[in-house]
Amino acid sequence: MYLSDAPNGASFRVIKVVLGKEVGKRLADMGFTEGVEGVVIRGGVFRGPMQVRIRGYDLLIRRSEAAGIEVTPVGDWRPVAHHLGRPWGGRRGRGWGRFFHGLRVDV
Amino acid sequence: MSQSKIRVALAGNPNAGKTTLFNALTGAHQKVGNYPGVTVEKREGNRIRGDREYHFIDLPGIYSLTAYSIDEVVTRDFLLDEKPDVIVDVMDSTNLERHLYLCLQFQELGIPVIGALNMSDEAEAKGIRINDRALESVLGVPMVKTVGPKGTGVDGLLDKIDAILVGEAYEPNRFIRYGDEIESKLSILQNLIQQDSSFCQCFPSRWLAVKLLEKDANAYERLRQHSNAGVIEGAAREAVLWLEKHYGKDAEIVVSEQRYGYIHGAVKEVIQIVKKPDFSLTESIDRVIMHPFFALPIFVVVLWAIFQLTFVVGEYPMRWLELFFNFLSIQFSSLLPAGILRSLVVDGIIGGVGGVLSFVPLIIFLFFFLSLLEDVGYMSRAAFATDKFLHAFGLHGQSIFPMMLGFGCSVPAIMAARTLKSRRDRILTILIIPFMSCGAKLPVYVLLSSAFFPHHAALMVMLVYAVGVVAGLLSAVLLRNTILRGDPTPFVMELPPYRMPTLQGILWHVWEKSWSYVKKAGTVILAASLIVWFITQVPVYTPLPQELSTLTASYKSAHPNATEAELASYLDQVRAAAAVEYSFAGRLGKAVEPVFKPLGVDWHFAVATIAGFAAKELVVSTLGILYRVGTEGGDKNESLRDALRSDPLFNPLVALVMMLFILAIPPCMATLSTIKAELGWGWMGFSFVFMLSFGWILAFLVHLFGSLGF
Repeated sequence: MYLSDAPNGASFRVIKVVLGKEVGKRLADMGFTEGVEGVVIRGGVFRGPMQVRIRGYDLLIRRSEAAGIEVTPVGDWRPVAHHLGRPWGGRRGRGWGRFFHGLRVDV
Repeated sequence: MSQSKIRVALAGNPNAGKTTLFNALTGAHQKVGNYPGVTVEKREGNRIRGDREYHFIDLPGIYSLTAYSIDEVVTRDFLLDEKPDVIVDVMDSTNLERHLYLCLQFQELGIPVIGALNMSDEAEAKGIRINDRALESVLGVPMVKTVGPKGTGVDGLLDKIDAILVGEAYEPNRFIRYGDEIESKLSILQNLIQQDSSFCQCFPSRWLAVKLLEKDANAYERLRQHSNAGVIEGAAREAVLWLEKHYGKDAEIVVSEQRYGYIHGAVKEVIQIVKKPDFSLTESIDRVIMHPFFALPIFVVVLWAIFQLTFVVGEYPMRWLELFFNFLSIQFSSLLPAGILRSLVVDGIIGGVGGVLSFVPLIIFLFFFLSLLEDVGYMSRAAFATDKFLHAFGLHGQSIFPMMLGFGCSVPAIMAARTLKSRRDRILTILIIPFMSCGAKLPVYVLLSSAFFPHHAALMVMLVYAVGVVAGLLSAVLLRNTILRGDPTPFVMELPPYRMPTLQGILWHVWEKSWSYVKKAGTVILAASLIVWFITQVPVYTPLPQELSTLTASYKSAHPNATEAELASYLDQVRAAAAVEYSFAGRLGKAVEPVFKPLGVDWHFAVATIAGFAAKELVVSTLGILYRVGTEGGDKNESLRDALRSDPLFNPLVALVMMLFILAIPPCMATLSTIKAELGWGWMGFSFVFMLSFGWILAFLVHLFGSLGF
């Protein structure tokens, strides 16, 4: 699995950076090394950039770069995403709440 | 090491509060310049304590010594080639693990390093307890806790620098250990490198050996100066192959992982986290600011607010400046006799300087707000909101600010493109900014659309704006796939927590930007406006007595009841029009008429376009002179509209073509000289030719297909 597939709120552990050359080195420099754990805080609409928290700081990464980071899920990815579907911390959003998906993130 | 002046480089990751600490260290004794050949700002400052003078150099913030962005190239080259006496690595104490990553790379350079544990108050508040003494002994790097805005720890830093100068507190051969496999390869390489002792004077062997394993292209280039370069290169490539086989991944990644592993171990021993990390404040703001659906609208509102504040509030000081220069003009007009000298002083010099300075309030306001947003931490959030959309056109998320500002004025917009880190993105953004119709082009649009599309004037103006945006985005795609080709710049950027900006820091930014504008663009714009003045005024036209009498006679016969005053104003208008026609600009306009013919217009418009190089506002007033209706009233001038409408050449199609041409033709002198200042002559020339051909082809095609359809 790759980081780009991770839903909002999902935790992951880095297996390795599969992107070569400069970008791969840059990702390693920024802290994506084997065994590091992180959380996806949020992703932009239409698969825009993702906000990821590793090594105690947050960074923004485009999906195309995130697709070069092989990860393994920590915990179950899906229920986390579901839980986030309940906006404003309320019950499951059926109405307008659905559009506020991602407004709340429990960290 | 000179006893009198100690050169201290201030380096570190971005967002570590480096500039604030630099200000605390140097106070007001700073000077700002550029690194040779690049527009990365170089800030230097001095501090005297006791009988020692410390010279601080503020290096651009970087993530790693493997050079990737222009900032990293500048920092690496400075450290390797200029060899400062001491490096002070400014680190964010709240995020030490990643900041130490760079610190340990500095250590390998063979230059004494001092770690400034900056933002230590913030770390304390977050429950991060750092045992600086223990960290010092684990890593072999002296550490000082600092708080930039309060100036805490400044004396401690200077004490450490003093200690290093007398040979204490520095362990030259303490380096990070990469593990046995890598270390054995490193020692082979280091032994080979050390055989050339004069080479080792220039380049630290440990650093070079590590960088060779990291496949750093620049390290291999520097290795060529070694007397035994071939053998070392062979050994390095062999070692890389062995490591990649052994670890099953790229060697440069292995080195990064080992470095992080070493740091992780060190940090665990000396840092105690007594509270769970708290992202709550930043997180609750981000829930709104970075909301998947609201992020973009919020960004638009922020931008709109900045736009309004800059151009609405900035208009007052701009008007005061105009009043002041008007006052000067009047004073000089009454002092000097009418003629070429008065025209030179009043229209050329005062007009030119006034033109330069009238942008200054805009730049001050704009950079005040931009620095505020940058220091607060909003810029990367804005990039998050816009990257998806802009990436489709080959632009970067951060291009959005400069582009939007282009609707106000291209000059500050082009300067705002400095926030882009990659040079290619910056060039691309600057090249398309002139497609965003600036405020000065609006009067031309208003004139032409209200004259020829009286019922849809506003709609036509909006259409032209929209065409500009589309043309800009399409040119971005075009340039990206031709001359600015290359892998898209990776979008991997830190998202710093929100921070309270300091007024001092923001004012510094504003001062630097405004002053560099006045200095750089000022000289060029002044020269350019003098040239435009010259070609529109010289050679001086003096009507022959016979011409005057024929004109007077024909006017009197056409208007038998005309008063002397009406006659005089008629003669003035004729004279002004003839003067422009007679000048170099007029002749030039006639000479380039063939270029304008395919667009359906004649030399009148060519002359107006040439005058428009000085400033786009001049297009309307020059047309006014040429159509003999005077310059008063600008775009609201009913008689100019009538004059244009009665010109047989003009029709709605031609008006549209001209609007599109004005939209895309090369920008004004101020813009061009700003492009020159930011990117150099080459790109300025390219921008000129590109805009001209793009505008001409667009106007020609619209005219061609429009006439077929008529």
